[in-house]
Amino acid sequence: MPLLPETNNLGFDRENMVKMRDVCKTYAGGVVALDHFSLDVRRGEVLVIIGPSGAGKSTLLRCLNGLELIDSGSIVIDGIPLDKNEANQLAIRRKIGMVFQSFNLFPHLSVQENINLAQRLVQKKSPAQANTITRDLLHRVGVLDKAMRYPDELSGGQQQRVAIARALALYPKIMLFDEATSALDPEMIGEVLDVMRNLAAEGMTMLVVSHEMGFAREVSDRVVFMEEGRKVEEAASAKFFTQPQQARTREFLSQIL
Amino acid sequence: MAFVSPRTISKAATLRDSILFVLSLAAMLWLVLRGAGQMGYSWHWQRVPGYLFTLEEGRFIAGPLLQGLGMTLAITSISMVVAGLIGLLTALLRLSASPVGRGLSRIYLEIIRNTPLLVQIFCFYFIMAPILDIGRMTTAVLALSLFEGAYASEIFRAGILSIHRGQWEACHSLGLTRWQGYRHVILPQAIRRIMPPLTSQAISLIKDSSLVSTIAVYELTMQGRAIIADTYLSFEIWAVVACIYLVLTVSLSILANTLKRRVHGAT
Ligand SMILES: Nc1ncnc2c1ncn2[C@@H]1O[C@H](COP(=O)(O)OP(=O)(O)OP(=O)(O)O)[C@@H](O)[C@H]1O
Ligand SMILES: [Mg+2]
Repeated sequence: MPLLPETNNLGFDRENMVKMRDVCKTYAGGVVALDHFSLDVRRGEVLVIIGPSGAGKSTLLRCLNGLELIDSGSIVIDGIPLDKNEANQLAIRRKIGMVFQSFNLFPHLSVQENINLAQRLVQKKSPAQANTITRDLLHRVGVLDKAMRYPDELSGGQQQRVAIARALALYPKIMLFDEATSALDPEMIGEVLDVMRNLAAEGMTMLVVSHEMGFAREVSDRVVFMEEGRKVEEAASAKFFTQPQQARTREFLSQIL
Repeated sequence: MAFVSPRTISKAATLRDSILFVLSLAAMLWLVLRGAGQMGYSWHWQRVPGYLFTLEEGRFIAGPLLQGLGMTLAITSISMVVAGLIGLLTALLRLSASPVGRGLSRIYLEIIRNTPLLVQIFCFYFIMAPILDIGRMTTAVLALSLFEGAYASEIFRAGILSIHRGQWEACHSLGLTRWQGYRHVILPQAIRRIMPPLTSQAISLIKDSSLVSTIAVYELTMQGRAIIADTYLSFEIWAVVACIYLVLTVSLSILANTLKRRVHGAT
């Protein structure tokens, strides 16, 4: 299998933002969602994860920021091990921004308050400081005019861009996108992908679960194809799409392209 | 079977129902009056207002029944606040990751929900009050708060659990602590769904508060009993006492309905 060379060193690593080793995750129902999964993501790299439904893609992202606890193996984020230590867990959650398929904006808060909240509570910023950052981010994602609106007054595409701005407000070092465009009407997918494209161009480390093969081909550095909690194939994106090595990968690509 | 919404009921049906309603009320009144007549009961309605209030030189002086109402309002409003706090705390404990917290709250809920309120009031009055050296009023508030708090906690729990888990996941990924998530995201959303059932619970509290008359707290029911012991005006006084409770509970349930409509309208 053409895997990238791996080191056994679990300690601090300037190159790798994410270091996963032999991670296993079995859900209460007995479903094995991750089966000895290992993965390295370099600083500034854009990694797209694809695979059929139930492959464990969401679980992979959710384990990285501690939304799910892993059964065995190890995860190191930007040099900090994700372990039982609560300070480490919190530090890692604050390094990682996550964007969900269903946006998960706070419906009782305005767009601006949505983005201010964690800045105020987590970073202890003053309202004025938070507002400055919030308005700058809203401008960047193109919804500054909606700052005072509530989430249910926005289109899906606008809501998702606000959700991205909300995650970016904490200056994360890694952004996780779990099917960020899957709940959107087709005409709104482009505006969200544009924001993600800009983010990638600015050098953000990104792990993207997506069915948007156009985006994967164009923006990503590397693609991982997984199934049943295991990595089937992993390659630089140009190579992945033009010369897939595994028969299973070719079959999957022929189904979705 | 077709579902008929209350709004689609015709005017004729409304008229027929109203007539039936008035007739049933008249029949009940006739039964009461006939019963009183057979017992040789002589009515003294003219004496009742004096137990509500008197006017001395134009000055308003509350009679025992209004004083009792004041006491009932004081006990129920304090108990409502305390019961709300107990309910919230118990709900948070039950939903917490701590086995000790979950265990304690379960024991509390089981005891409260599976024993009669009257027995709880007596336990507090005869066992806890002497130990803690607290007065009757405090005992009453404590017993009522613990009782209603158990039911309020179920309401809080259901309200918190009704919030989509994606909200928790967003809090988590933004690095909020559990408490910050509750305080700024989950509870503000849950409270709108919790308010209507919580108001119904407050109505139960008003009614249940009459039970503390058994430990001689001079609230509305106790004042009624005291007046009747002196005057034997049982028909008049109980009717007035019942009406006062009715006014309290009906106004609260109107409030609850308005709240409910507002919540449904807004979401
Ligand atoms: N909370 C859970 N409890 C039990 N089983 C779960 C839970 N979450 C996911 N699973 C199971 O784990 C497996 C992997 O799920 P996961 O959501 O990671 O897949 P996915 O690749 O993201 O799929 P999809 O493309 O449908 O989102 C699936 O079989 C799923 O049914
Ligand atoms: Mg998924």
